[in-house]
Amino acid sequence: MIKHHPTFSMLQNFVDGDLPASLAAGVAMHAGMCPMCQQKIIQLTEQVAEANFEESSDLDLFTNDADMKTAELDFDDIIGEITASDDVEPMKAASIERSVSFKGTQYVLPNVLRNMSLGKTAQIGKLSRARILLDEGEIHTNLLHIGAGGSIPEHTHKGFELTLLLAGTFADEQGEYVPGDFIMLDKRHQHQPATELGCLCYTVANDALHFTQGINKLLNPIGSFIY
Amino acid sequence: MQSVHSELPSHQAAVTSSSMTNKIDHSQLCQWLKSIAVDRDKQAFTGVFKFFAPKIQRIAQSKLNNEALAAEVLQDTMSNVWRKAHLFDDSKGAATTWVYTIMRNVTFDLLRKMKANKEDNLSDDIWPLAEALNTEDDSFSDHIQSRNLLGVIETLPENQQQVVKGFYFMEMSQEQLAVHLNLPLGTIKSRLRLALGKLKLKLGEHHD
Ligand SMILES: [Zn+2]
Repeated sequence: MIKHHPTFSMLQNFVDGDLPASLAAGVAMHAGMCPMCQQKIIQLTEQVAEANFEESSDLDLFTNDADMKTAELDFDDIIGEITASDDVEPMKAASIERSVSFKGTQYVLPNVLRNMSLGKTAQIGKLSRARILLDEGEIHTNLLHIGAGGSIPEHTHKGFELTLLLAGTFADEQGEYVPGDFIMLDKRHQHQPATELGCLCYTVANDALHFTQGINKLLNPIGSFIY
Repeated sequence: MQSVHSELPSHQAAVTSSSMTNKIDHSQLCQWLKSIAVDRDKQAFTGVFKFFAPKIQRIAQSKLNNEALAAEVLQDTMSNVWRKAHLFDDSKGAATTWVYTIMRNVTFDLLRKMKANKEDNLSDDIWPLAEALNTEDDSFSDHIQSRNLLGVIETLPENQQQVVKGFYFMEMSQEQLAVHLNLPLGTIKSRLRLALGKLKLKLGEHHD
């Protein structure tokens, strides 16, 4: 069972369209696997829409007549321009599945990711990483595959790190995680995920990971690799 | 959610007293969207436009803080309403929710185009419109619906069936169909429009 969900305020930001694409995609994929959050999102969207489009007298309060008139004129132009077009949106055909393969295992990607450009897969040991090229500056997004028996040494973050488990399972000191688990960590957290049978994660981080334990500090290049 | 009016007690009174007239007329909005879908009804579109446009303009202006961009959001959102009205399904949500989704998606893609310089238009994958959203959840009922749809399509005259099947199931453009069927583009367009109107009516009957 999925135990880790986005916070309510993150769902609100998602519905408002205020999250960066990387995090919005993470929430969307979680909702695709979590009927509970899906339901919350549907309700929130209804509420936000209703609130946005309610008739409000604010309009009369802040807009004087002259403004209203110019707006009205423009509106007729726009209406004419739009309705002059004969285009009709075709209904969506069944979506084409997109899959990726890591270490010989093939994974079908969630629809949310199907149009995103993927970089080449890079590997260190049991870790394979394909960057998702969203161009969001310091925010880096990856598909991260951990091979069977692999782990990520104990580390902390300066910024945040979202791990959305897409397939397989992994465990850390908090317990076991299943596909759909939405794990948002910040600098207060440390963790050391390990997977018995291998797993595929969608990760978003805005800074390199920092390895904390003695000898593992030698592994800090892996921190940049994962970020 | 915090009320915007909480700091304006006198104004709040005015809002409350007129709240009956401020209620959104959802069935009117649905009716208009249906008329756009079936008849390409410009009058109905004008109704939808006049209801949403001032609000979209205001919301976009406050979000983007730029008049030209706010105008772009308005134009894109409302052209989508015109082009996609036949995809609106009032059994899956209110017209306001549907238009909100379009507006939010248009705004998101526009902001991303500016900030990340990316024209990847990811919004429809992140927030699919209600009609597409349900294909994964309700694959069973959707299956029934598409069988139903196919049955209804097969009641159309042969020449309209060809166009509808090519357009919806093979995702050919109207131009491609014109070439493929060796017919003038205008004929394709009018056959498709006729067929759409009939389909909407027939499918409507099934729902009632
Ligand atoms: Zn959830």
